[in-house]
Amino acid sequence: MRTVKAPNDMSEILNTLTESIKAGKRKDAKAATEQALSENIDPQQILAALTMGMDDVGRRFKANEIFVPEVLVAARSMKSSMELLEPVLAESGYTPDHTVIIGTVEGDLHDIGKNLVAMMLKGANFSVVDLGTNVGAQAFVEAAQTHKASLIGLSALLTTTMTAMREAVALFREQGLAAKVMIGGAPITEQFAQDIGADGYATDAASSVDLARSLVA
Amino acid sequence: MDNLYLKLASKGHRAPIATDLVLHERPDPEAVLLDGGRLGEVVIETADRFGTPLAIPLMDLRVEKEALLSAMGIAAASIPGYHFEEPPPPIDDVAPTPRMEATCEGIARVADVPALLPMGMCIGPFSLMTKLVSDPITPVYMAGTGATAEEDEDVDTLEKCLQLGLPLILQYIEAQVDAGARAMIVCEPAANMVYFSPNQLAESFGIFDRYVMDGLRQIRDLLARRGVDFILHDCGELTDGMVRRFGELHPAMLSLGSSRVLWEDAALLPKDVVLYGNLPSKRFFAKDLSTAQVEAAACDLLGRMQAADHPFVLGSECDILSVSGSEAEITSKIEAFLHAKNS
Repeated sequence: MRTVKAPNDMSEILNTLTESIKAGKRKDAKAATEQALSENIDPQQILAALTMGMDDVGRRFKANEIFVPEVLVAARSMKSSMELLEPVLAESGYTPDHTVIIGTVEGDLHDIGKNLVAMMLKGANFSVVDLGTNVGAQAFVEAAQTHKASLIGLSALLTTTMTAMREAVALFREQGLAAKVMIGGAPITEQFAQDIGADGYATDAASSVDLARSLVA
Repeated sequence: MDNLYLKLASKGHRAPIATDLVLHERPDPEAVLLDGGRLGEVVIETADRFGTPLAIPLMDLRVEKEALLSAMGIAAASIPGYHFEEPPPPIDDVAPTPRMEATCEGIARVADVPALLPMGMCIGPFSLMTKLVSDPITPVYMAGTGATAEEDEDVDTLEKCLQLGLPLILQYIEAQVDAGARAMIVCEPAANMVYFSPNQLAESFGIFDRYVMDGLRQIRDLLARRGVDFILHDCGELTDGMVRRFGELHPAMLSLGSSRVLWEDAALLPKDVVLYGNLPSKRFFAKDLSTAQVEAAACDLLGRMQAADHPFVLGSECDILSVSGSEAEITSKIEAFLHAKNS
């Protein structure tokens, strides 16, 4: 017989989970997720606890209270929890509202910024399809169509490769993709984003979450 | 005063790192990279065009990774995106690649020009390691919390990659010095706040000392033994503690990125470490950074460095890459800072 956890016990487990994510304690996050699942807590509530942890990480990152390594360690904890949670969510028929296709543009092999954005977006409960680095424009188009994406995120680190963004955005427009396009990377400026017809530009990974949320709102 | 860099600083010298711009004016830049004589000519032309005795070579930080992985039998096409997923085995001998040989031949060509200082270039050991593993940041952080290579395979992989890279870098430096380099620009841009959390460093610089400084000390010592000037370049976002530690290495010149406030950094460094660079050259391609703004920034920086009474050579924060279609825009900004009036 399925027993439902008392609210106080439940909130204690979820709070532990949120705090484990915030502190980047992977083992604790995994243990709290296991406990939450074994106690039959609603998987969407577990997901909300994870998202709350990552939202706090993003807020502190934006405020320069924590830095990239702490974000990555928190995201790694989130990933461990999600590996346990995703099959349960899928079983319950839950899917995130929005899918983002993300990748570093053709000719560019840098991925730290792109990975950070992907992790932050996952933490904000977007479904993220990461195409990796050196991704041609056509591959973004195909992935966006296949996954019915709401957003496409393009990353570039080099001044020499960011020009590939212009070609990619032009192709997306030519193909009539419904997905909004957000771009980012060290050399990118707001002006450049406007010039190439992107829908938005984020200065850092935490801001990319705000941007993504605003673009799909 | 026999220190060239101090002498240049005292004369208000300015110089961009702009070899890539000139290289890409050639119809066949990829071929030039493999032709030492022509590569040397590009370096000479760059120095001549921008009026500097500093024969700065191309800043291409992919060369060492290519050599290392070629020696390990990784297919050329896979090398750029290749990462070790587990600790790599040690390797006895890394043969110089055609790119390395051409670079050395280029230095030898430059050494034939008496008015120029032939300079070599290499990646720093930490930055090379970051190119060899898919996620270097997390294991650096975990090692900073005390995780050891025995306890954590990712830390083990990272440390093995560091051990793998350093001998190759030392070997490449020796080859460039043998070819005639009298100064070596060691590029360690990954030693920055992305890879090292300032929160962690506030508690201890141990992990930075171990992963960054130990390798740089070995390079500095080698250069000192060979009588070659040590120039350290790091355009990443740095903490004051990082800058102070770089100063302790006592490079002849320290090249920093535009995120630093150089006149404040002056207080962190020995008086004879010449500061170099700092103008936001990664954005020179962009029209929303105007030529007038670059000129104003150059004037301001020159004035403030003069007030700080610290030796300084105005320049670019990093290699000024050629961006197709934006060459004139970029060149106008180089000209702007080369000719900006000292306020």
